Amino acid sequence: MPRRLPLRACTALSAAVLIAAWLVLTWGGYVRDLFLPPPGELWDGFMDLLTDGYRNRTLLEHLEASLWRIFAGFVTGAVAGTLLGLAMGYWRAVEAIFTPYIEFLRPLPQLAYLLLLIIWFGIGETSKIILLFLAALPVSAVAARDGVRNVPLQRIHAARSLGASEWQIFRHVILPSALPEIFTGARIAVGVVYGTLIAAEIIAGSSGLGWMILDAGRFLRSDYVFVGIILIGLMGLALNWALVALETRVVHWAGR
Amino acid sequence: MIESRRPYWLLSVVSVVGFFAIWHVITVAQLAPANLLPSMTQVWDAFVDVLHNGYRETTLWQNAAATLGRCLAGFGLAAVTGVPLGLWMGRSPALAASIDWIIQFMRPLPPLSYMVLLILWLGTGDTSKVALLFLAAFPTIAMAATAGVRGVNQQRIHAALACGASPQQVFRHVVLPSCLPTVMTGLRISLAVTFTTVVAAELMTASDGLGWMVFSASHFLRTDIVMLGILILGLLGMALSRALLSLDLWLVHWRGRE
Repeated sequence: MPRRLPLRACTALSAAVLIAAWLVLTWGGYVRDLFLPPPGELWDGFMDLLTDGYRNRTLLEHLEASLWRIFAGFVTGAVAGTLLGLAMGYWRAVEAIFTPYIEFLRPLPQLAYLLLLIIWFGIGETSKIILLFLAALPVSAVAARDGVRNVPLQRIHAARSLGASEWQIFRHVILPSALPEIFTGARIAVGVVYGTLIAAEIIAGSSGLGWMILDAGRFLRSDYVFVGIILIGLMGLALNWALVALETRVVHWAGR
Repeated sequence: MIESRRPYWLLSVVSVVGFFAIWHVITVAQLAPANLLPSMTQVWDAFVDVLHNGYRETTLWQNAAATLGRCLAGFGLAAVTGVPLGLWMGRSPALAASIDWIIQFMRPLPPLSYMVLLILWLGTGDTSKVALLFLAAFPTIAMAATAGVRGVNQQRIHAALACGASPQQVFRHVVLPSCLPTVMTGLRISLAVTFTTVVAAELMTASDGLGWMVFSASHFLRTDIVMLGILILGLLGMALSRALLSLDLWLVHWRGRE
């Protein structure tokens, strides 16, 4: 591919321009450090956070707090949602019963019911994990339902004419066919859960990365805010990569 | 899997009615404290009250208008800039290479994380909120438009060129219709994201809007208004996604018939 190099050069050039603009703006004194910290200060801020932590907790503890909430909320929500979605795809009656709730919950901004959950369960971990559970549930349910719905009927008929029982059809035909869509749903769900968690930590938290940048913003420590945003972005990427890796291992037949 | 002609919508109705019945029984039997779970009549009274008298000097309409206005301003700005840029990126690999890495970095970032920074830069007013919503919607829209242009069947373009179409004509009559379904899907996804984000932003810093109303009511333990707000937000979210879906079906009537 002879065109490969110039395209890379385009990316490098645009990144270089952006970084140069940052350097000129900060070192030239055009903007105050408060609004846009120079690279040196950003690095110092990162080292500070790494060695001293933020507000009596190390950076790792904040990371761990966020990750634990994601894990607990996402796993419970995705498992429950997938089971519900499979049932909804398989039985029309189950679908008819649960569709109103799923359709209501799906476009509902998650943070709106966070406040109700806080009133009911207090401001601690329980309300956050239930929030994430409710955020993941409809996404996973819709993906699993559509996965079951999109199984080619010929496959089911073929299996049935070969004498497979209903359970065998479900286990060996429907589930493998639906699994790629279930995983796509899980990846969307983890994105939703992550975004919701950061928002929840910003609005009602006392630990975690989201809370850290909010608190740093209050004290105008924009270096910490920047480091926090970069870390949040990297963690989002890592979560997505982890799920993609899991997906390629489990659903190795996808696309074939 | 077993198809039959039973009226399944009836089951949906029964399910919703059942939900409200359980809610009613819990409140009538006082199984839950009234300040945690208000009765349906209380929520209805709150609705009538907020509709006529407003909540803390703002009427329900003002709050709904504030939320929708912010949402549509941010989304509109992102659509107006993101679609042309994405189309252009799909045509020009060099431009795509220059911009794509920024979009790829923005996309996994939860919008509320850079809200802190936007407040620092632009203050707590509507400017920072509209900027936030713009940034939340923009990457998805631009990416969808780029993917749409890249996915256009090359044979169609070549056929049109061979028939003597000018590049403008190819763009207008071949590329644009072919990529519109993808663009519309991107717009629908990003409107949902924008609606979620506007409420989160209003919880963080606002003095009107439905998100603010729910947030403020929760401070005073006005659970009736909180539940009312959630119901309105849910219905509004459903209405927004329905509206864009019907626009999609009307505008891209050739979807799925290629």
